[in-house]
Amino acid sequence: MRGSAHHLIGKKTGILMLLPSLVLIGTFLVFPAIWVLYMGMTNETLTGIRAANPQFVGLQNFVRIFKDRFFYNALKISLLFVFGSAIVGQAGLGMTLSVITYRKSKKFRSFVQAVVILAWIIPEVVVAYLWVAFLDKDFGTLNNVLHWLGFEKINWFYDYPVLSIILFNTWRGTAFSMLLFSAALETIPPSYLEAADVMNVSPWRKFKDIILPNIKSYIFTDLILITLWTFNVFSPYLLTHGGPSFKTELLPIYIYRNAFRYFKIGYGSAISAVVLGINLALALVYLRLSGRGARK
Amino acid sequence: MRKLLVVFLIAVMAMSLFGVKITIIANAVKGGKNTQVVDWFESFIPTIEEDLGVDIELIQTGIKDEDFKARIVLDIKGGGGADIMWIDGFWVPEFAEAGYLRPIDDIVANIPAWKYYYDSMKAMGSYKGKTYLIPAGTDVRMIYYNKELFKKAGLPVPWQPRSWEDILKAARVIKEKLPGVIPIQLNAGTEMGEATTMQGFFMVLLGAGGNLYDWNTGKWIVKSSALRDTLEFYKKIYVDEKLGDADLQVAPKAREKTFELFRQEKIAMYVEGTWFYTSVLSPNNPSWGFPDRDERIGWAAMPGRGKPGDPEFVSISGGTGFAVNPNTKYPGLVAEVLKRILYLEPQISYFELKPFVSPRSDLAELSWTVNRNKFIAETSRALVKYTTFRPAFPVYPEISFQAQLLTERVVTGQMSIEEALEEFAQAVTDIVGKENVEELP
Repeated sequence: MRGSAHHLIGKKTGILMLLPSLVLIGTFLVFPAIWVLYMGMTNETLTGIRAANPQFVGLQNFVRIFKDRFFYNALKISLLFVFGSAIVGQAGLGMTLSVITYRKSKKFRSFVQAVVILAWIIPEVVVAYLWVAFLDKDFGTLNNVLHWLGFEKINWFYDYPVLSIILFNTWRGTAFSMLLFSAALETIPPSYLEAADVMNVSPWRKFKDIILPNIKSYIFTDLILITLWTFNVFSPYLLTHGGPSFKTELLPIYIYRNAFRYFKIGYGSAISAVVLGINLALALVYLRLSGRGARK
Repeated sequence: MRKLLVVFLIAVMAMSLFGVKITIIANAVKGGKNTQVVDWFESFIPTIEEDLGVDIELIQTGIKDEDFKARIVLDIKGGGGADIMWIDGFWVPEFAEAGYLRPIDDIVANIPAWKYYYDSMKAMGSYKGKTYLIPAGTDVRMIYYNKELFKKAGLPVPWQPRSWEDILKAARVIKEKLPGVIPIQLNAGTEMGEATTMQGFFMVLLGAGGNLYDWNTGKWIVKSSALRDTLEFYKKIYVDEKLGDADLQVAPKAREKTFELFRQEKIAMYVEGTWFYTSVLSPNNPSWGFPDRDERIGWAAMPGRGKPGDPEFVSISGGTGFAVNPNTKYPGLVAEVLKRILYLEPQISYFELKPFVSPRSDLAELSWTVNRNKFIAETSRALVKYTTFRPAFPVYPEISFQAQLLTERVVTGQMSIEEALEEFAQAVTDIVGKENVEELP
C-alpha cells in the first residue's frame, strides 16, 4: 500500500487514466490550434499558384487583419451579438423563466421547459428556414399578419439585421441557460425561502439576497459557456448570409468568407487564430471573476 | 495517342472486373437551376453507357455559382471529385495554377469536333499553352425588357436605347406610370458575386470605353473617368432617382429574388446574359419560366454611355465547359465519354433544350439559322461583333470582388463615389502590387 492516505489512486495510475483524454485533447484541440496558427503564417490559398506553392510569410497576415476594416466590422458585430443574444438574451431570459417557474406546479414548469427546449433541439437548418419564413419581407408570416392588421410591412433582415439575428439566437439558445438555472435553484435549501415567506420579504429582495448569492457560481459557468459558444455561432449565416452589406457578418462568417468564398485559407486561418485568442482571453476573464466570486 | 489507347484498354478490362463508374458534375438540378441540363443528360447518357459498357452518374447540385466553385475546389483538393466537371471558363487560370485541372491536349486531339472550335473559345479554355477546358457554350449580354409593362407605361415596343440616358428615360416613365414595378435591375453588390461584375459592372464600364485591365500596358486600372462615370450611373439608378431597388441587391439570395420579381412582372428591365432567356425564363423552367416568353419578353442591345467616341453597343461573354479532374482514375474512358458528348447530335439536342451561343462553327451554322432558334440567331448576329472577354488571370476573382464591393458601397450609400474608388484603388494595389496598377485620366 504505497498510495498516501489522501489519494484514492496512485500518481502513476492517475496519469495512466488521464492519458486517453490527453491524447484526444492533444489530437483534436491542441494540434488543430497550433496548425491554424501555422497556416495563418502562410499565404496559402485554395486556388491559384499559392495553392500549389504556399509560402511562409510570418506575421504579415496578422498585420493585415488589424488594418482590415472588415475585421473591425465583424468584431463589433460579434461583440454586440454576444452581449445581446447570449448575456442579455439567453442568460437573462433563461434566468427569468427559471425563476418564474421555480416553486410552481410541476405541470406548469414542464410545459414551459418543453416549449423552450423545443427551440433548442430542432436542427439548425430547419430553424433557419423557419425564421426566414417568419421574418421575410415579402412572404414572411409576421409581415403577413402585420399587413392583415393594417400595419406597414417591415423588412426585418434589412432594417433591423443585428436585432433579427439577436432575437433568433436568443430564441434558439435560451433552453441551456434556463435548464442550468433551474437545476441550480434546486440546490437552494427550501428553508431559506420558506423563512423569507414567513417574514413577508418582497420577491425582489428574495431574488437579490437569497437566490442570486446561492447560484452565483452557476451563473458564471453559464456565462462563460454561452459567451464562448455564441462567439463561434455560424447559423445566422443561414438567415442573412452576413448581409445586408456585411451588417451581420460575425467573426465566424468573416472567416468563412475569406477562407472558403475567396479561398484565402492562410488569411482565414490567421483570423481564426485571432478569434481563438479572443476566446481564451474571455475565458480567462470569466474564470478569474468566478474564482473571486467563489472565494467570497 | 497509343499510350491513351493502352490506358483505355486497361481501363475497359478493369471496368469489366470492378464495374467502373464515370461521374460528371454540373451545377444543375432537376426542376431547379439548369434543369434542362439534367433532362439532356438523362436523354443521352444511357446510349453512351451502353456504347462503352460503363456506368455514368450525373451529380446534381443546382446551387449558387460561388458555392459550386467551393465544392469543386474542396473535392479536388481532397483527392476526389467527379471525373468530368462542367465548370465556368473563367476559373481555368486559377485552377490550372493550383494543379486542379488535368491538361487535356491528348484528349482533344482525339475529338473529331475539336477542329470546329473557334480560336477565341479555345483560348478561354487554355492557360499558358495547355488546354484545360472544352467549351460547352458561350453567351452574350444585353438588356431584357418586359413588353407588356412597356406597353402599359406607354413606351414604344420594340425598344432600343442608344445611350444610358435613353435607359434612364424609360426607367423614369416606368417609375411614374407603374408604381410597385422596379424600373431596372442592374446587378450590384457582393451578394450576387460574379453576376454583378459581368452583368452589371462590366456592361456599364465597357459602355464608357473603360475596362478593369489595360491590355496595352498589362496593368490593372484603379482609377479612370470611365470608372467614375460607371459609378455615377449606378448612383443615379439606385440612390439619386431610385429607379432600382438597392435593398434587393444586398438581400440574401438576391439573384433568385430578382428572378422571382421579374417573373411576377415587378421588374421592367434587366441587364443579363443569354442564359437568363434560355434557362431562367424558358417555358420549360418550372420556377421562373414564362410560357409566352417569346411574345412577352423583348431584348435590346446594351448601349454605350452616348458620348462621342464611346462604343455604340457593348456585350461581354463568358462560357462554361468540360474539364477533367486530375484525380480521375480513368482518363481514357473520360476521353471516350467526352468525345461522345461532343458529337453533333447530342449537341443539337442540348441546343434544343437550352439554346446557347455556339463555341464551334459546325454547330453555329446550324444554330444561327432563325428556324432553329430565333433568339440565338438574332442576338448572336447583333452582339457577337461587339462582345469581349474578361481579363482571365488567376488574380481576376479577387479584383472582381473588389469591383462588386465598389458598386455595393455606392448603391447602398455607404460611401461617396470618390471614397469608394479610393478604397478600391487601395485594395487592388494591395492585391497586385504598386507596379501593376495605373490611374487613367
